[in-house]
Amino acid sequence: MIITIDGKQCEAQYGEYILDVARRNNIFIPTLCHSDALPGQGNCRLCIVEVLEGKRRRVVVSCSYPVKGEVEVLTNTEKIRKMRKNLIRLLAAAAPDSDFMRDLQREYGLEEEERFQVYRGEDCILCGLCVRACEEVGIYAISTVNRGITKKVSTPYAEPSAVCIGCGACARVCPTGSIKMKEENGRREIWGKTFALLPCPGCGKPFITREELAYVQAKTGLEPAEILCEKCRQKRAARKMRDVFKDVTMK
Amino acid sequence: MPAGSIEEGLSQAKEIIGKYPREQRFLLAALQDIQKHYNYLPREALALVQEHFSVPMSRLYSMATFYKALTLKPKGKYVIKVCDGTACHIRGSSLLVEELQRLLRIAPGETTTDGKFSLETVNCLGSCAIAPVMVINDQYYGRVTTAAVGKILEDLEAKE
Repeated sequence: MIITIDGKQCEAQYGEYILDVARRNNIFIPTLCHSDALPGQGNCRLCIVEVLEGKRRRVVVSCSYPVKGEVEVLTNTEKIRKMRKNLIRLLAAAAPDSDFMRDLQREYGLEEEERFQVYRGEDCILCGLCVRACEEVGIYAISTVNRGITKKVSTPYAEPSAVCIGCGACARVCPTGSIKMKEENGRREIWGKTFALLPCPGCGKPFITREELAYVQAKTGLEPAEILCEKCRQKRAARKMRDVFKDVTMK
Repeated sequence: MPAGSIEEGLSQAKEIIGKYPREQRFLLAALQDIQKHYNYLPREALALVQEHFSVPMSRLYSMATFYKALTLKPKGKYVIKVCDGTACHIRGSSLLVEELQRLLRIAPGETTTDGKFSLETVNCLGSCAIAPVMVINDQYYGRVTTAAVGKILEDLEAKE
């Protein structure tokens, strides 16, 4: 079916999320807690848009609102901008030192305010992506603890986790860079636990923890020599492509 | 209130958990029972729960810190709940809390070092007609005054 986003006709599948359709058509909707790998978090509300369906006009969260009819979507109306502005004000108070939030503040002409209590040094907006990433990997090392204003993400008893494999998925997926992962001298430190990094069989750069290597091996059945760092993996894929298309000539 | 000690071993915890089928929907009920028996959730007992229900420790910890009925630190033998709902607040419940803090030398949410008293504030006990209200274990005290607070504590001490 065809939906209209900001006047542009876009092809969409039934049940597809508005955000995905917009992205595919190069229509920018700001998001914070959205990750392509872990979609539908729907926590930060930054991606709100207006949907016009017949006579109804309402504000929805585009990352988890499925297309069910030939609707019209407006991503940048006066109303949306006003609402988004308030969301940014609140989120910026929770993550004042995040580059992403600073950029958004600038874009919406906002400055740091005294009105809200600003939480320095944490930058966590409690979107829960890290917890979901950890669950998705299958480790379950971190979770949200407490509730209300004291809610935070932590390992049980705030101690170094017995099950964490130091894969760093939580830090990588964090939109505000709030999870601290330190890497130096072939060691990685995360959630108060230090891991020794093993070298990549391709380039020799330390890139994976012993625990993660064992976990990946057990899960995928790959040989250690096949588990490469990201760059070497890309190179290997490129080489494979080249070999496949070696004898193909363009006509 | 039955208060088991960790010294008597975890056999009780094992027994409590064992009553439940190994399904996650019984998790909270099991945790509540353990809380009731030990007055808190001993770490060792949580490990048993983790094993029985095959649930990650992080999730248990998340639950244990989320629900107010569950605590990770031992609660006192007497849990004093002072209502700080609107009616009680207007009728001076904050003065009661101050008096209790002075007498017990603990802040709300804490337990005395001898393990006798815990102090908590709650939002409404539904007994606004006799505000300000205080509940110690299952005993209700209505129209409490600061003078009465000292007397109530003395009586409890005397019972020991």
